[in-house]
Amino acid sequence: MLEVKGLSAGYQDNDVVHDVSFHVGEGEAVMIIGSNGAGKTTLFKSICGLLSPSTGEVILHGVDTAGLPAQRLVRSGMSFVAAQRHLFPRMTVQENLSLGAYPRRPNPETLSLVMDLFPRLAERRRQHAGTMSGGEQQMLAVGRALMARPKLLVLDEPSTGLAPKLAHEAYQALGVLRKQGLTVLVAEQQVPLALEFSDRGYVLENGLIQLEGSSAELAQNPEVRRAYLGVV
Amino acid sequence: MIANVLDGVVLGLQFGLLAAGLTLVYGLGGVLLLSYGQISVVSAIVVLFSMDAGLPTLGAVVVGLLAGALLGLAHDLTVLRPVYRLHGESRVLLSLLLSLGVAFVIDGWLNWRYPLQGLRLRIGSGPIEILGVRMPAGSVVASVITIVTLTALLVFLRTTTLGRAVRSVIQDEEGARMVGIDPNRMLRLILLLSGFLAALVAVTRSMVLPVDVQSGFSITVFALIVTVVGGLGSVSGALLAGIILGIINNVAAAQIGTFMSLVILLLAAAVTILLRPAGLLGVKE
Repeated sequence: MLEVKGLSAGYQDNDVVHDVSFHVGEGEAVMIIGSNGAGKTTLFKSICGLLSPSTGEVILHGVDTAGLPAQRLVRSGMSFVAAQRHLFPRMTVQENLSLGAYPRRPNPETLSLVMDLFPRLAERRRQHAGTMSGGEQQMLAVGRALMARPKLLVLDEPSTGLAPKLAHEAYQALGVLRKQGLTVLVAEQQVPLALEFSDRGYVLENGLIQLEGSSAELAQNPEVRRAYLGVV
Repeated sequence: MIANVLDGVVLGLQFGLLAAGLTLVYGLGGVLLLSYGQISVVSAIVVLFSMDAGLPTLGAVVVGLLAGALLGLAHDLTVLRPVYRLHGESRVLLSLLLSLGVAFVIDGWLNWRYPLQGLRLRIGSGPIEILGVRMPAGSVVASVITIVTLTALLVFLRTTTLGRAVRSVIQDEEGARMVGIDPNRMLRLILLLSGFLAALVAVTRSMVLPVDVQSGFSITVFALIVTVVGGLGSVSGALLAGIILGIINNVAAAQIGTFMSLVILLLAAAVTILLRPAGLLGVKE
């Protein structure tokens, strides 16, 4: 579904990620783990068209989309949930969700699907997004992304700023979406959560892919255990 | 006193309409359009010449409004192209410089070719009585047009999908792009709309006072003051600030003197910004 080949990207001639290659197959849940500053956000922004990569290919459904702006990529079935969420703070939950469906005709079915997944959003549909708690904002960000009916959902650190229990709930919701057939690519530094959720993963350090493997393999890898799982 | 306040409201509604276009363009695209007043004046001249060419007043006004909208669009297609490549502060500065250049060129050309022209639309015959004050029919009609236009603008922004898309870019540009909204297309739409509003200001203003070739810069300056006081990117803020400043301006002019009214207006604006740096209805970053 998504194949990234030799991607380098950064800011003002300084590349932060170097020659990164990975792929996400249809129906898979793939994680990119790495510590703070490893380049996960830069990598994701350049995949999703918020940043132009300096070299490399981003092949989505067989088409090279590198350098295309984000507003075009949503229409190709890839939705992005940023770590900073980027909601519309002075609009209601309802308005945020309906703008999520901007590229398509409004679809009441999708809306009720999102409301079923996050009943909390249904309770708060008239509340302004900016006045909600971090956990609710995260639900809204995922809900808004789902409104475009993506084939591939890309999430940058969905656990950011959430208490452990809420982070856990966020991943439970993602698990439900997976069962419904959604392909998911997630970047995470809360590695245990991501390991439990995903099929495969890549370890990104200093802008380079250092390791790859199935989640089970990565969970057993001594380096991963030492660096991310706190096992000595 | 009531007469002064009512006149102030008439002026304030004009201010609000003036600032609405400017505030949307700035809030949406970080573009400071200093040629705004000149768009207004050119539209007034177009209305004037259309009437001279034999068009009925209403027809001439429609032609003038179209001219304003096209001028706004022309900014997007030509002079603002290099601006769109920049971001942040440098974007604001370049837009300010380039549109100021456009303003000088238009002003120079108008002063060279048509130095004595001015538009004055005479509406109705007798005055209309409101709250016991006899208001000129022109003021009343101008205010009604302004209220209807601003209401329509607010309804558009709040209830339609396109209007919400415009607001989403003002609130979070990256978020807007993530849901598939192209900020540049929204900006083009808003520049077209702003040109239309600038032309409408010329038309309604000319029902109260003549709009002459020299009024371009003062229109821009008033629009800027009202925009800043109202809060960048907020149409309702522009309307509120416009009415408050319009009343302050007219009451000050009547009680103290016209020579002081601009000083007092600027003082009121400065105090507002000191107390509320983001403007009356603006939102802190």
